[in-house]
Amino acid sequence: MQNLILENLARALKDYDAQAAARWARTAIEQGIAPLQALETLTEAIREVGDAFATGECFLPELVSAAEAMQAAMPILEQELHRTGVARGSVGKVVAGTVAGDIHNIGKSMLCTLLVADGFEVIDLGIDVPTDRFVEAVRQHQPDVLAMSALLTITALEQRNVIEALKEAGIRDQVKVVVGGGAINEQFAASIGADGYDPTAPGGVKLIRQLLGK
Amino acid sequence: MLKGFTRQYKPLDLLTEEETEAIHRGALYVLEKTGMRVEHDRALRLYAEHGCRVDWEARRVRIPSGLVEECLRQVPSGYILRARDPDKDLMVGGNTVYFMQGMGMRYVDLDTWEARPATIQEHREAMIVADALENVHLADGVFFYMDRQGIPPVMVMLENLVSGLRHSTKAEQFGYQKDCEIFAIQIAQALGINLNPELDTASPLTLYGGSVEAAFRYVEAGIPIQPCSSITMGAEGPVTLAGSMVLGVAIVMAWAVLTQLIRPGAPMSIQHGLKPMDMQRGSPRFGSPEYALTGAAMNQMLRKYGIPSCPGSGFTSTSKKIDFQAGYEKAMGALLSALSGGNLLIFQGGSCAELLYHPVLSILDDDVAGWIGRFLQGITVTDETLAIDLINQIGPIPGHYLSAAHTREWMRRELFLPKVADLEPYAAWIRSGKQDAMALARKRMEQILATHQPQPLTPDQEQAIEDILKEARNYYRQRGLISDAEWTTYMRTLESQI
Repeated sequence: MQNLILENLARALKDYDAQAAARWARTAIEQGIAPLQALETLTEAIREVGDAFATGECFLPELVSAAEAMQAAMPILEQELHRTGVARGSVGKVVAGTVAGDIHNIGKSMLCTLLVADGFEVIDLGIDVPTDRFVEAVRQHQPDVLAMSALLTITALEQRNVIEALKEAGIRDQVKVVVGGGAINEQFAASIGADGYDPTAPGGVKLIRQLLGK
Repeated sequence: MLKGFTRQYKPLDLLTEEETEAIHRGALYVLEKTGMRVEHDRALRLYAEHGCRVDWEARRVRIPSGLVEECLRQVPSGYILRARDPDKDLMVGGNTVYFMQGMGMRYVDLDTWEARPATIQEHREAMIVADALENVHLADGVFFYMDRQGIPPVMVMLENLVSGLRHSTKAEQFGYQKDCEIFAIQIAQALGINLNPELDTASPLTLYGGSVEAAFRYVEAGIPIQPCSSITMGAEGPVTLAGSMVLGVAIVMAWAVLTQLIRPGAPMSIQHGLKPMDMQRGSPRFGSPEYALTGAAMNQMLRKYGIPSCPGSGFTSTSKKIDFQAGYEKAMGALLSALSGGNLLIFQGGSCAELLYHPVLSILDDDVAGWIGRFLQGITVTDETLAIDLINQIGPIPGHYLSAAHTREWMRRELFLPKVADLEPYAAWIRSGKQDAMALARKRMEQILATHQPQPLTPDQEQAIEDILKEARNYYRQRGLISDAEWTTYMRTLESQI
């Protein structure tokens, strides 16, 4: 019985069915399955989708849909973990946002979804985020990583302003800064003093894990 | 006025009349039912005053179909894009096709293919080349080399504009960012030009404050605007081409309504870029056949509305080099854009999405533009070109046409001659050191820079521009948008140019 529930939970994720994933997570809790075990099932399933993505077998929308199914199930399991006092350490905390003047949302949202599915705690500041809001969020949330996106050639340079502002506020050393966006590259990232760059969301997750030594 | 190219035959229609109607009605439905998020209070008030339903909290406006159709009818079918030299004005619209340069944030080294920020000198040289090229009709100095050595980001667009105006007499474009449109309008008024600024839209269905504010400023100053309908299909819009067309057309409609409500009869064109997402990498697939299809279909919809069209399909490739892929992706996109009724084609010089620009690529692309221009001219069929009397007179071999007056009379008009294509017979090619188009283009660039001198601005114009730039620099300095360190480098960079 318990195995069947866990199989259905994994199946829901691989079918990209967020509603079913949430439903099976709830059933799992009701049937007394340990939330950590259910979480492990989900992690294993998303890893399989991730592997299929890496080989080109599955496409980005499928990876993101699977991650969203995971996101739908997770709060239910986390609530139970919280209730039963079992600690599940997050892999790390990330503050993410698209810089001022830039209204591109998709790349940054993809990264956030994949990070959450990978076990990170993510604070998404949204789009068109002014420099001082980035600085304030770093101060307030004390994340391990600040991830900034800029798609437009005009706004890529805003990323430099944020890094400068972090320096001025004396908190640049407290956080790893990664940048993304189609308009820039590694050299640009290095030239503005970022710790890393990746042009894609799945690559961004790898990069952040690497930087944190996870 | 620059004549550009004239398409002499009926445009390529991909969609049937019923299909264009289905997309049109779909977009009307979306605007009335789903609506647009418009993050600008004055715009929302304006929409509300004209019978649109506004949800103030969600900043969502639902626009009735009647108003949309009325506004679409009101948009002029063309406008004059005024250049510094009135002989180079453009009449945008109808069956006229113009070319302008593409975008590219950085300078690319032709030996290592690595990119880096451009210097003042490199921007100047690229503009001189654009001024010299016969098929660059709009010499856009603003949207390439946005990453400039020694210039603070907030001043780059204005400095690029001024560099463009100093080194070319052709029409110029602009955009908007952090109020810099205020200074661009002053420059336009000082020089009697009108800039054709492009304004962003975010898909799905969102107009952000910055571009709407700029629209008010430009339209009220009598400047024709160019809103962008840009969608990455599968991410920012449906992955189906028709579905993204519905969204793309809804954006066109929302802008038409806004522009006409600000000032009835205000001229505008639409820039469009409906391209698929690369399903493995998440990046836009520039240079794809789907982009060429939506480009052609959007041209068709805009012809239906009588709104000038500025297609992006063909403006760039994802190739990092100037190579076979860059050549075919750009050429095919541009050709299909031209055949389907695009009016202002973004084209010469840019590659690698929007990352790289090089004048040598502009020179190569200019040959492609000339090739397309020749194709648009079509086949002239008159008594004289049919040449039946001549054929009768020359008869069979040993007759020939080499020394016929008719050949001399018509050869230059009928035949396109590319400037840098490798046309040599094999033996001559070996003797010349095996030069390919790339080598010939590099040579042409040297030659242009050695001989071409764009007409400079008058001392009065220089003074006016310098005063406006000074005001802009102080404006951003006072607002803290130029840091102390940036300011020092900036001033040193400017001094080194005197």
